[in-house]
Amino acid sequence: MTAPLDIRPARSRFNLQKFANSSLDALKGLVPPAVAILIFLVIWQVLTMGPDANLPTPVRTVQETWELIINPFFNYGGTDKGLFWQVWTSLQRVALGFTLAAVVGIALGILVGTSSLMYSALDPLFQILRTVPPLAWLPISLAAFQQANPSAIFVIFITAIWPIIINTTEGVRQIPQDYNNVARVLQLSKSEYFFKILFPATVPYIFTGLRIGIGLSWLAIVAAEMLIGGVGIGFFIWDAWNSSRISDIIIAILYVGIVGLLLDRLIVFIGGLVLPEEQKQ
Amino acid sequence: MPTLTFSDSAPNFLTRPLELHLHSLRTMAVFVEVDHIDRVFKLPDGGEYIALKNIDLQIHKGEFVSLVGHSGCGKSTLLNILSGLDLPSAGGIVLEGRQVTEPGPDRMVVFQNYSLLPWLTVRENIALAVNRVMKKHPQAVRDRMIDHHIEMVGLQKAADKRPGQISGGMKQRVAIARALAIRPKLLLLDEPFGALDALTRGGLQEQLMKICQENEVTCVMVTHDVDEALLLSDRIVLMTNGPEAHVGQIVDVPFPRPRERMEVVKHPNYYSLRNEIVYFLNQQKRAKLHKAKPVVAMAANGLEKVNLELGFIPLVDCAPLVVAKEKGLFEAHGLSQVTLNREPSWNAIADGVATGRLDAAMMVAGMPLGMTLGYGNQRPRPMVSALTLSRNGNAITFSKRLFDAGVRTLGDFKAAIDRRPDQVHTLAAVHPTSMHNLLLRYWLASGGIDPDRDVSVTVIPPAQMVSTLKAGTIDGYCVGEPWNARAVSEGSGVVMATDNDIWPGHLEKVLGVTEAWAEQYPKTHLALVKALLEACEYCDDRRNREEIVDLLCKPEYVGADEAHIRQGFLDPYNRGDGSQPEHVLNYIQFFTGKANYPDVSEAVWMMTQMARWGITPFPRNWLAVAERVKRADIFGQAAREMGLVDTGRDRHPIHLFDGLVFDPDEPLKYLDQFAIKRDLRIEEVPMDELTIA
Repeated sequence: MTAPLDIRPARSRFNLQKFANSSLDALKGLVPPAVAILIFLVIWQVLTMGPDANLPTPVRTVQETWELIINPFFNYGGTDKGLFWQVWTSLQRVALGFTLAAVVGIALGILVGTSSLMYSALDPLFQILRTVPPLAWLPISLAAFQQANPSAIFVIFITAIWPIIINTTEGVRQIPQDYNNVARVLQLSKSEYFFKILFPATVPYIFTGLRIGIGLSWLAIVAAEMLIGGVGIGFFIWDAWNSSRISDIIIAILYVGIVGLLLDRLIVFIGGLVLPEEQKQ
Repeated sequence: MPTLTFSDSAPNFLTRPLELHLHSLRTMAVFVEVDHIDRVFKLPDGGEYIALKNIDLQIHKGEFVSLVGHSGCGKSTLLNILSGLDLPSAGGIVLEGRQVTEPGPDRMVVFQNYSLLPWLTVRENIALAVNRVMKKHPQAVRDRMIDHHIEMVGLQKAADKRPGQISGGMKQRVAIARALAIRPKLLLLDEPFGALDALTRGGLQEQLMKICQENEVTCVMVTHDVDEALLLSDRIVLMTNGPEAHVGQIVDVPFPRPRERMEVVKHPNYYSLRNEIVYFLNQQKRAKLHKAKPVVAMAANGLEKVNLELGFIPLVDCAPLVVAKEKGLFEAHGLSQVTLNREPSWNAIADGVATGRLDAAMMVAGMPLGMTLGYGNQRPRPMVSALTLSRNGNAITFSKRLFDAGVRTLGDFKAAIDRRPDQVHTLAAVHPTSMHNLLLRYWLASGGIDPDRDVSVTVIPPAQMVSTLKAGTIDGYCVGEPWNARAVSEGSGVVMATDNDIWPGHLEKVLGVTEAWAEQYPKTHLALVKALLEACEYCDDRRNREEIVDLLCKPEYVGADEAHIRQGFLDPYNRGDGSQPEHVLNYIQFFTGKANYPDVSEAVWMMTQMARWGITPFPRNWLAVAERVKRADIFGQAAREMGLVDTGRDRHPIHLFDGLVFDPDEPLKYLDQFAIKRDLRIEEVPMDELTIA
């Protein structure tokens, strides 16, 4: 009798059953949310089916906004643009304001985190300012900038900066004593300490701050654009309300939600690229 | 290292220049000196936590020292202080003659949790250290250095992985490589293998041992693992429990190097050493359980008890009690009704304290230990001594008859005994556990005279010594003053030796209370210690001596002739052998030279001597017994509250006049050296059961 010689596992062979199983698992995961959405739509439909309902039914919403849904890229000039362009303009504002907030926030956060004098001086101030609602900043920024666009960007900036500062500060203060001990024993210079220890150790906290910040700035942009006007998803919603196009509002809200989610995921994705395994939260 | 004995000079802790000289001699051979370190942490409630107390340790170049103790004993704190990451509250670290004030790469640490930077690869982690520390070398040299150390710990394949991608054992190897790559003078390891599985740990231990040997690195390692400590170390420092953790015992590990694990385990001493360490740790665990204290209602002045009955024996060295009473020091510390009871004998003192008739008493040095161990087959009774009241002040007096018969020295006495074997010479001491008895016996035995077979040593209360000597019932005695001076001045005796001739600066009288009393009245006990400590300081000021002599002369205290009390205490000391009376330095020492510290090493010496003469068994848990009786923590608190130095005496070997050196870490070896001794009983004294008694 001969023993079987070929005992290599058939690694390269396509395993149909395994593939089927995994895709089945994925599908199973989609079932609960699909059912939930369905139930939601049914309830919506039932509640708005009456003749004097104030809101459109889901079916009517889709019918009325079909043009917007299938063609997000139209551009008829002025503010009459497809939803993509509306969102795109808003995103540009958010990008500018949020980037400014990130740069200033991280720098301020590190400064405050490393100096206990600065911390005790500024932390109470931050704690007060961070609770101010985004729109409360708008009149002030309008008064200061006299123009709509910079004012909107400033509102984004001022809304997103607090969580970034506070989390960065916290990150610096929470640098594990072990890392500081290593730095002290090796007598690292200030710049070595900053680039090799302080900044890398703070990165996870910074990303937490950025994630909260991006969420807040997306909240703020819609509110700000409603008041400022011009192109942008916020103004689109306001405009739709003024023209009683309730279905447009609903579809725009859906857009806002999906874009907000994508922004959040984007930050998480970048964080995953940057952070090593041990530091992920 | 040169050995110096002090048999022919004044006590070592008083002659500063000599001590400094000795100090410098010692430091030459020493690589790292841990010099009397205290570490006190401030608590949020305003209190203090004394983590480390008076740690004194010398580490030699190339030596591997392990710190072993229970959790919370301050091992890691000590390691942090060695590295400079933490600073001692008192004392300091000297590395190659320079004081350590901040962390630096010459004292590299291998941290407990590796402390690798997770965002850097293995190579980058090592490179960070090498590039920083070896800046002066060209990049090529540094790279070679990095590669060499990665190879040394066998991590070539993982060099470009991040710490998150490798196992705990590999991380620890990286940490060791990082530490060794920068060539530290001193490598500090904080439980380096604690988190690893047994197999990985074994392999890494051998690797570390090999690397340390090849590179002659001086290492200090904190560990819980007794076998690890035995395998790697040259010396193992056993630390007592916190608070006030200190060095309990130092175990020398004699295994030859290079070591192999299997050969080390087979070494005939391996299991005895291992047992010794495990035994120590078990004793410490018990001591920890013992420390829970009951709460007692306060009587007055914030103390549990203010009316105290104290016992004393009429002797010059009862001065601290008399001074505390007469100068109102007891009242000053809240003890408003203190009565001093003049007791007829040391036995009456022991009984009085044991039965509760006396709250506390001045005791002969060995009495608290002797009572705790149950001397003379009595029921053991745990005692506490938190204060040494005096040092020195004894002499051995022989009768004028012996002197006239030509006995001038111990040798003459030996010859006289040998000439007349039929004649029994009787000598007297004041109590079996007293230093007089132990010193007299030690002195006789050093001259080849067996104190039990060649002569008879009996017990007589101090005040009756002179009359018994005159009556011819005894031929000599060892006693405190003024009873030697009196025999000399009355012409009935001649001083053969003073304690400066035998053991200068030995402890003599101590404060003794029962452990139950100390636990019931902790604040009162503390107040008593403080009052007496202040009195001791007063007694050692020579400006006060005239006044103290007047006090002692009162009939309710010593009541002896003033001239006898003055002898040695103030006036030149007359030995009565025709030599010129001369001033004796520190004839009785009440305060100077850290006299009052309850010294554990001395307690261990006394236990060896009491065991040598069959007075008590030698406790197998000698350190636990000594630490339980000699309460340095209470003394330390009293001293601190009075603004005095609370540092203890050093754990130095004790040198006696005959050249034998007592190493407190090796009491049984010490006992082995003596030719003249009784059968040794080595017993474990169960300290836990004692508390219930």
